[in-house]
Amino acid sequence: MPNSRKTALILGDGASGTIMANKLRFHSDLRQLEIKVVGNSPAHYFKPDGVMIPFGFKDHSKSVKPTQFLFNHGVEYIRDTVTSIDVQNHKVKTINSGEIGYDYLFIATGDRFATDDLPGYDKAAQHFYSLDGALRLKEKLAEFKGGKIVVGQASIPIQCPPAPYEFTFQLEQYLKLKGLREKTEIHYIYPLNRVFTMPNVSTFIEKLMDEKGIVVHKMFNVDSLDPDSKTLSSLEGEQIPFDLLILVPPHKGQKVITESGLADENGYIDVDRNHLNYRDYDNVFVVGDATNLPISKAGATAHFESEYLANRIASEVNGNAFFESYNGEVACTTITGGQQAITLFFSYNKPPRANFQSKSDYFLKWTSSDTYFSAMLRGIM
Amino acid sequence: MDEKPSKIIDARGSFCPGPLMELIKAYKQGKVGDVISVYSTDEGTKKDAPEWIKKSGNQLLGIFDRQGYYEIVMKKTR
Repeated sequence: MPNSRKTALILGDGASGTIMANKLRFHSDLRQLEIKVVGNSPAHYFKPDGVMIPFGFKDHSKSVKPTQFLFNHGVEYIRDTVTSIDVQNHKVKTINSGEIGYDYLFIATGDRFATDDLPGYDKAAQHFYSLDGALRLKEKLAEFKGGKIVVGQASIPIQCPPAPYEFTFQLEQYLKLKGLREKTEIHYIYPLNRVFTMPNVSTFIEKLMDEKGIVVHKMFNVDSLDPDSKTLSSLEGEQIPFDLLILVPPHKGQKVITESGLADENGYIDVDRNHLNYRDYDNVFVVGDATNLPISKAGATAHFESEYLANRIASEVNGNAFFESYNGEVACTTITGGQQAITLFFSYNKPPRANFQSKSDYFLKWTSSDTYFSAMLRGIM
Repeated sequence: MDEKPSKIIDARGSFCPGPLMELIKAYKQGKVGDVISVYSTDEGTKKDAPEWIKKSGNQLLGIFDRQGYYEIVMKKTR
């Protein structure tokens, strides 16, 4: 191999890191660019299935694959944990491999659950944002005989912003099927003065919630949780008692990001919104949930970001000019209940339209793990 | 505006719900009597932030048009 061969180093083996690596491999020449991925996840879980698994609407075995088999030929996967990132000297440190240098760095470290930020969370709340969480919740729901269920999120931002309303609609459907709907109150809390971030989608979703008899509590910013009295309290002074609390945990960026001086205590990295560079570093990029961009933290976002970055870096390595920019484009399909779903397309400057729901969109969502593992994750689409 | 802010959040360039979430974060960290000011260029925040201030039982001291952005000022009363 010639000495001019460059090294692209990708930190993270979740959706963002894997799609980034595989797309970059497709777009670039093996002789000109080597690609390394550092990550420590033995299994890769398709998180959107969290709105199916707790209800038995989907077998969870279809939602998980061994991480090591998900990288394309020509991508070196290093099972290791990054302990520091030195962007000035173009290297990272890991537990097992020591220092790893790079020409291009892609930070795809995602985010983490910060349940310590809400005392009582581990004792009193359930969630569906991990496979373990979804399976625990499945057991809780199987034991549930009726009462008051509160669904919501502990804070903003979270991964996949539509997931709380998707879950709520699925829950309503599940309770109907179990014959428990008449015995159960469903309460949905949301931090803003609507039921979803995007106003026009929120109007559509709120109407559906009203039709399904879901009680909405807007501007409910979670302040505290009392596990003994089973009461959730808001900053705004509202209190809701519950029999079952399903609360998306507080999120933060990874500790290594903060400890490396790349972000504040929240751990989300400030990036150029149109080019995805970290500050003025020409060779450091951030992709997926690790950014502080004002768009969804979701695999669908990482998919579009990776396409842009893979084209850009491959052009640079090949010595070609590249003039495009990333415009915040995202597409996602979200469940609206009764085996219906809507697909949203949006960007920084173009809000989504929520006009209709359909069973075909639900089918698209239900089968999306197949598409994800066979094509999207491999960088084929 | 008579009261000088004890905390200023510059959220210009950040989109909804970013500026409101920054305001709420400052509220949680502050003490009763604090005056908190947020600078924003996001039009949605101009509606959302005053609504939240009212709902949370705090006091809106004003919304001021500045050059190229606006400033929302609140007083923490609870």
